[in-house]
Amino acid sequence: MTAALDRAATELLPAGPRLVAHDAAVFALREKRDAAGSAEPDFERLREYARAAKAHTLDHLDLYLERFEARATAAGAIVHWAEDAPALNRIVHALLAERGARQVVKSKSMLTEECGLNPYLESRGIEVVDTDLGERIVQLGHEPPSHIIMPAIHRTREDIGALFARELDVPAGETDPARLTEAARRHLRGHFLGADAAITGANFAVAETGTLVVVTNEGNADLGMSLPKLHIACLGLEKLVPGLADLAVFLRLLARSATGQPISVYTSLVTGPRPDSELHIVLVDNGRTRLLADEHHKRALGCIRCGACLNTCPVYRRAGGHAYGFAIPGPIGAVLAPALGRTAEQRRLPLASTLCGSCTAVCPVKIDLHEQLIAWRATDVPRGARERWLARLAARVLASPALYQLAGRAARVVWPVLSRRWPGNPAAAWLAARALPEHPGASFRARWRARRREGVQ
Amino acid sequence: MSAREQILGRIRAAAGHAALAPPRFIPGARRTDFAAFAQMLVAAGGEPHGPVTAAGLAGRVAERCRAWSAGGRVLASDAALVRLGGGPWQPVPVDADPHALADVSVAILCGAFGVAENGAVGLDGREALPRALPVLCERLILLLDTSRLVSDMHAALAALPPDALAHHHFTFVAGPSKTADIEGVLVLGAHGPRALAVFGIEG
Repeated sequence: MTAALDRAATELLPAGPRLVAHDAAVFALREKRDAAGSAEPDFERLREYARAAKAHTLDHLDLYLERFEARATAAGAIVHWAEDAPALNRIVHALLAERGARQVVKSKSMLTEECGLNPYLESRGIEVVDTDLGERIVQLGHEPPSHIIMPAIHRTREDIGALFARELDVPAGETDPARLTEAARRHLRGHFLGADAAITGANFAVAETGTLVVVTNEGNADLGMSLPKLHIACLGLEKLVPGLADLAVFLRLLARSATGQPISVYTSLVTGPRPDSELHIVLVDNGRTRLLADEHHKRALGCIRCGACLNTCPVYRRAGGHAYGFAIPGPIGAVLAPALGRTAEQRRLPLASTLCGSCTAVCPVKIDLHEQLIAWRATDVPRGARERWLARLAARVLASPALYQLAGRAARVVWPVLSRRWPGNPAAAWLAARALPEHPGASFRARWRARRREGVQ
Repeated sequence: MSAREQILGRIRAAAGHAALAPPRFIPGARRTDFAAFAQMLVAAGGEPHGPVTAAGLAGRVAERCRAWSAGGRVLASDAALVRLGGGPWQPVPVDADPHALADVSVAILCGAFGVAENGAVGLDGREALPRALPVLCERLILLLDTSRLVSDMHAALAALPPDALAHHHFTFVAGPSKTADIEGVLVLGAHGPRALAVFGIEG
């Protein structure tokens, strides 16, 4: 585990019920995904098609981007290209500033989260209101989202009630999700009606027609796109799909994999601006072409951000999304971070995995996530001095039968001492919420010799 | 060199073994009757009604409107008015500033088609005008010919009217607006309609 994961995990862990609630809430999504997948006879074939369609699209991405740009432009949209996060932020700010926009409603976009768009705009006097309920909760709480599709899943209803009592018109002690949602609805309605501009992401961009596809359950993106006269859509290069026939496949997989729904409530196909309005589309690289040039890791660009790999990941479920310290948490975040992350700590995320492979088993586009993590570990993932020393030590011990047996004897002495709770136990942080497994008491070799003596073959 | 040229240049340099496009996906057969559609709509939190006859439609819709609107503002699109005739509804002021629709209690629109796989109704951009109406209204009623049901999303996207995408938006609506962002507890009416009724029309 990286230091950040360790730190954040120990923040979540002592609060036992909080950890249990988080684990239950995200694993419930995994179970809904399983039920939806097995109820749909086409599901496994759709996954295979999606994998092949993404591989094809990424191999011809230049063609599809140019086609998308041409068709979207013909429909009246204006397409911008951004090399990196600062470029995206500059482009969006300029569009807003030129039109004097001060109030912006934003619907969920992991890309703008990755690029730090909100703080950039806010520091320049533009108010950005996140309108997805979960995103608004974390925005009011001054924290980042902890899940791709359930941004506030690490918060209990009591946390949210206390937050709304402080920030919105809600009586103290309110914890009913329906009444809290109603308060947020009233609060956000005002912002929708007063907005000068809307910023959205896009789930897909259809090259054949120049269409953006925006999917929500709440309807917040649709409200944003239909009220102010300026709509700015920000999307990563990898969102392209060739045509509407391919889109059908991805739409059938997305909601089933995310929440177990056969489709989300709102799926809007947006081609060009509304009359008397403007539509600007910003295509963002920010490290994606670097991944594309990597024969193995380019598969990670197939991700459709459903969150299934988070919901099933034993590390994510217990540590929570904040532990990753990267906009996209969970297995897919750990795969993307070495290419898209900015800090050494983020680039170390491939080390924070058990490599159990559960993520790979649920991915709707069949990204070989745990293989990707292993491949990153073989490259220049930055490692700390202690880890390098431990790895060298392990290599020595595992290469020598004598040293290995000596280490086993030492472990049999130390293990029972470490398992007990005592002041100053160096394993205290681990033991706070976990137990070490029962020790067998004797080595395999010793037990084998004993069996032979007893005449058991 | 512009960002566009630099990005496209890097993509061309990275182009790998050029994987072929997969052959067209052939979905499995499934039911396309109103009962199958209705079952999925219920699962999505919506209310299926009917199928009703063209003659019986206005009465049934008026009944739903009265229960839902409590005397509030009820608007029906031109296409819906052709189906409904007179009743407790007004025509949509199509050229209105969308902000003036924030007090709409019930909106009545015609769906382009329904999708049996998931209970979604396709809303054409020319019908959902102003575009904000179907998300700003408190409750939404959609009228749907049962002959316009398709099996799945493959058929739905293949069935888009040829110029459907030339009108800014085409939206699939599957149930009322919803969220589960507080502890995963499902709540209907997050931002948009708190309820959705779909009336199937026979014949």
